[in-house]
Amino acid sequence: MIDVHNDEKLLKALFEQDTDITIEDALENEMVINMGPQHPATHGVLRLLLRLDGETVMSIVPELGYLHRGYEKMAESMSFNEYIPHTDRLDYTATMCNNVAYVLAVEKLAGIEVPTRATYIRMIIAEISRIMGHLVAIGTFAMDVGAVTMVLWSFREREIIQNIFDRLAGARFTTSYTRVGGVASDMDDVAIEMTHGMLKDIEDALFEYEKLLNSNRIFVDRLEGVGILTKEKAIDLGITGPNLRGSGVQYDVRRAKPYMFYDKMDFEVPVYNEGDCLARYFVRVDEVKESIKIIRQCLNQMPKGEIIINSPKKVLSHKAEIYTKMEELIHDFMLINFGIHPPEGDVFFSVENPKGELGFYIVSNGTGHPWKMKIRSPSFCNLQAIETICKGQMISDIVAIVGSLDPVMGEADK
Amino acid sequence: MPDKKRKKDLTFAQKLYLPEIFKGLALTFKSMLKPSVTMEYPEVKFVPPAAYRGRPVLVEEKDGTERCVACGLCSRVCPALAIEVQPEETELEKERYPKLFEINMIRCIFCGFCEEVCPEEAIVMSKDYELVFTSREDAIYGKDKLLVPVDQLKDRLEFLRNFK
Repeated sequence: MIDVHNDEKLLKALFEQDTDITIEDALENEMVINMGPQHPATHGVLRLLLRLDGETVMSIVPELGYLHRGYEKMAESMSFNEYIPHTDRLDYTATMCNNVAYVLAVEKLAGIEVPTRATYIRMIIAEISRIMGHLVAIGTFAMDVGAVTMVLWSFREREIIQNIFDRLAGARFTTSYTRVGGVASDMDDVAIEMTHGMLKDIEDALFEYEKLLNSNRIFVDRLEGVGILTKEKAIDLGITGPNLRGSGVQYDVRRAKPYMFYDKMDFEVPVYNEGDCLARYFVRVDEVKESIKIIRQCLNQMPKGEIIINSPKKVLSHKAEIYTKMEELIHDFMLINFGIHPPEGDVFFSVENPKGELGFYIVSNGTGHPWKMKIRSPSFCNLQAIETICKGQMISDIVAIVGSLDPVMGEADK
Repeated sequence: MPDKKRKKDLTFAQKLYLPEIFKGLALTFKSMLKPSVTMEYPEVKFVPPAAYRGRPVLVEEKDGTERCVACGLCSRVCPALAIEVQPEETELEKERYPKLFEINMIRCIFCGFCEEVCPEEAIVMSKDYELVFTSREDAIYGKDKLLVPVDQLKDRLEFLRNFK
């Protein structure tokens, strides 16, 4: 007999949660309500089961899996290159970051060196993506607590970024830009020009956002002291990314375990100690500013040169060579039909994504496709905090808390 | 790095709330005079750059034959399993041609991998992004819809030579 999912289990979990909340004039009857999966403030299809006493949340059980597509299992029947479009669909607010994270993991496994220019382009696109992800995070978060203008403004700036991706990768949303061994196409002068223009636009826009939100009495009063996640709890629960830094822990994978050329870059890791919803918002805004700094440095340092490594047995050769040379043509066919053959072994590689630490754990048995892949997705891990934070809060604050944690369900459910 | 102090204490003028309302209204009126950032789509068409990955098409040579030699690489690499190719022999110099070439546009995810692996530059991504079909059968594009003369694809072919 297969143990099918049912609501009884959820209810049991809901009622068995130990609550140490005491309410002065407790009601006789508690109420159980469902928030989501169709609730607009749950950022996708997150379902929350709440046990309420009046307006106070006594216990809460999140239910995930409404957007489960089995990406970890699908990887086992795909070659390493074929899987790249699927990484777009993990954290769909910052697609390029996932692309970069995945190919870095595969390159570590297969021992492929990447040309310097390609690494710089990867850093630029990853940081642009981070800005993109944070713009959505800030916009939707502000919309959840009442400032609908904000989401329109942040999507206006996102459009500028998407135009760059259109020029660079050929798609606005599902970019699939990186390849194992480099990137798909070169960043031309027009794209660099557009990036410079975008940075200026974002800086101007950030000034506007801060004018709208930072001294906005409704926004500040609504969020201050709401949903406090303490430093110790955040570390215990394995929270990463802006949510961790909002709780006063200075942990950023770009600084802690530098990958690509982040160790050469001059940037700061913003930290706020309060651990409430407002602190998490401030961390995101500051991170956008740091990203702008990093992109400027990358654009200045980026050398000319190849964008993909010349290694016909592992990476597709240049088109001109495939058209004219027999050897490269054979390798082209071999690579597509049988894939890259990395050595046996396993590898874990993690990068800093807008949502937190995204890690790929790949086990290879020497064939063209991974034997097992595990994705450590930051949204999934960050959602663990929801129980700790929401207990004892008012029901109207749940919306603000979920917005400030900023889960993307595409990534949490994989 | 020292801990940052966030600005949260409001000044007296900000606490009064009324001046802030007028400031906000002033901004609203200013925005009315700014140029619009949106595009009025059906009237104004979005012209994509050469890098844009629209609908995949087959390149048709000037003599009316397709470039494709039906090697099947595009069908093999397609992550969404959208392409079907059936080869047949021909008297022409290329020896093989696709008797049947179908792309299921419901499955296609526009990743551009088919174009990237093609050893003959026979399948490329066009700028076509307006895809409408009324039934599932209509969504399966055969050779009649896929073949596009090489003159119309110059932009993309040039882009592929320069940046890929």
